[in-house]
Amino acid sequence: MKGGAIPLLVWGAFLAVLGGLNWIWTGDAIQVGTFGFAILVVIVGAGALVLLSRDALGRGAPEPRSDPEAVPDVSVGAVLAGLSVGSILFGLVFGTFFVYFGAGMLLASLGRLAFEVRSQRRSERSVEEVQP
Amino acid sequence: MGGAGRRVVSTTTSSLLAERRIPGWLGSLTSTDHKRIGVNLGILSLFFFLVGGVFALLMRAQLAAPNGHLVSDNTYSELFTMHGSTMIYLFVTPMAIAMAMYLVPLQIGAVGIAGPRLALTGFWIWLTGGVIMQSGWLTGDGPGRDGWFSYVPLSDSSNTPGVGQDMWVVGVILAATGLLVMAACVAATIARHRAPGMSLLRMPVFTWTAFVTVLMTVGSFPVLIFVMVLLYLQRQGANIFIGFNGAIDYQDLFWFFGHPVVYVMFFPYLGAAAEAIAVNAHKRWFGYIAFVASMMAFSALSMSVWAHHMFTTGGVTNAYFAFTSTALVVPAGIEYFDMIATLIGGAIVLRASMLFALTFFLQFLIGGLSGIFVASPVLDYHANDSYFVIAHFHYTLFAGSVFGFFAGVFHWFPKVTGARLRESLGKLQLGLLVIGTNMTFFPMFILGQEGMPRRISRYPTHPGWATLNRIETAGAVIIALAIAVFLVNLWVSLRRREAAGEDPWLGHTLEWATSSPPPVHNFDRPLPPITSYAPLLDRREAAEAQVSRP
Repeated sequence: MKGGAIPLLVWGAFLAVLGGLNWIWTGDAIQVGTFGFAILVVIVGAGALVLLSRDALGRGAPEPRSDPEAVPDVSVGAVLAGLSVGSILFGLVFGTFFVYFGAGMLLASLGRLAFEVRSQRRSERSVEEVQP
Repeated sequence: MGGAGRRVVSTTTSSLLAERRIPGWLGSLTSTDHKRIGVNLGILSLFFFLVGGVFALLMRAQLAAPNGHLVSDNTYSELFTMHGSTMIYLFVTPMAIAMAMYLVPLQIGAVGIAGPRLALTGFWIWLTGGVIMQSGWLTGDGPGRDGWFSYVPLSDSSNTPGVGQDMWVVGVILAATGLLVMAACVAATIARHRAPGMSLLRMPVFTWTAFVTVLMTVGSFPVLIFVMVLLYLQRQGANIFIGFNGAIDYQDLFWFFGHPVVYVMFFPYLGAAAEAIAVNAHKRWFGYIAFVASMMAFSALSMSVWAHHMFTTGGVTNAYFAFTSTALVVPAGIEYFDMIATLIGGAIVLRASMLFALTFFLQFLIGGLSGIFVASPVLDYHANDSYFVIAHFHYTLFAGSVFGFFAGVFHWFPKVTGARLRESLGKLQLGLLVIGTNMTFFPMFILGQEGMPRRISRYPTHPGWATLNRIETAGAVIIALAIAVFLVNLWVSLRRREAAGEDPWLGHTLEWATSSPPPVHNFDRPLPPITSYAPLLDRREAAEAQVSRP
């Protein structure tokens, strides 16, 4: 992933300059706060990429990788998670039944996701064992 | 070994007992394949486009004559609110993300999207948001009716009572959250999953436009979610936005999302138009590096212009926002310069995708130039809340998205389906769309200049207004006809398929190096060497040079 963090940092720098100008020109706390938030999100994103791999600050093109990459085909857990979030928020408007229903579904979806991730890791390991 | 150079392990856990794919529509809706998620998101966005279009037609029918009585004042407020909300939260923005979701992994040679389960969760969160927002129509109070930005104090519970507005707020929270999650997955894919050889400055033009789009999304959408949560709490009785300062604070927070989203709804369509122009001109996109730099500057600048929506409130520093808003013409000028320079000397083929792309630039120009007027606080005081503003933002939002979207559809439809769309129907659609767009939105400049305010459900008999409004209504019907032609084209092209092959246009980028439609993990064979943003063009040029060598 060579250089993955670089455009985030460049974009964050652009934002910082514009946010700085805004601070000097307007001094508006909310505006400076929202600008600061956007810059923070970008910097945290870049930082996370660097933590995952120092390559994120490297120059040039990504190198070929030989480790297997597991790609899930379907995920019932992900669907249930999405629906459960919707149900919980819908319940805020239409009654606590949907909140409880959504919370139950969220728990089920998290269990299902854990099962799916475990299955994915098992597949990766089995490929590594067969074709190290 | 996948073509992207890595061993790909397919993991299917559809059943606790047996590892099988889920067949049929259920399999499609639970698929974590980025292409499936992108297509599902695109189809549902298109459905919401039709829904929002029906709302627009009803509004135009109401305004076809002075003192219209087709719908009540309240229903008219619901219609313009749900028209704007549907188009922005449920059509143009998600369609932009859908295109990025489908195309970006293919263009950068990745086998899939980063965080596929997260992306699928995001899709379902967005969809539940859309359903909840539209379900407001089924409530006794009707859906949201305070405009797509729902200013306070108008949108608090004392001024807008009823559960429909609450459902609108919850729907916006969910739709924005879903889009944010999917955008983060696209950003992570670009950062982490590029194929060997695909350096940042070898990414295709569309991928760059998608990248800045998702950066803007992750930078600004959380603020929308935050302000909607505050609005929900306000509606439950919390005193958050109080008095004049509270109203200004709400607007400040809302527009921090509200203006960047205008560019979220523009950049990917610009990228689609740019790809269509370069491929149909059989040339590289001119000034690639300048384009990338201008996209970075353009997107950052567009994060800093939001309070030009608040010039007339007296609550913001107009000079700063007039400066940044006017500065937008510089990167925008670079895009236009690049587009014209790409055309010069090109072997141009006027396919439907090319015509849509060229029209996109021409039509958006009207929105951009009128934007220079309203970027000036002095002129904005005159134009604010009039039909001039409606004309301006429909030339930017409608023309600046829909024409680019159709350029992308005609360009990439063969890749997605393996079949070509009918060119003749495409050109008929384009003609109708150009006529309809300009008949609908251009008279609004004149009406706005003459003082017709926005969001009024009926207007008095006034010299010239009835004629102009009638022209607009006729234009809206022509736009609907154009969309009907597109739907017929879809139906005909999918029923009587003309096989497209894997690279029908002599494409430049990696998505054309795989079958149409692409296989599950995108590439079944090794990718061509990546030495520029246009590896397929490089390969063709190298082959031609080989042949022409004495």
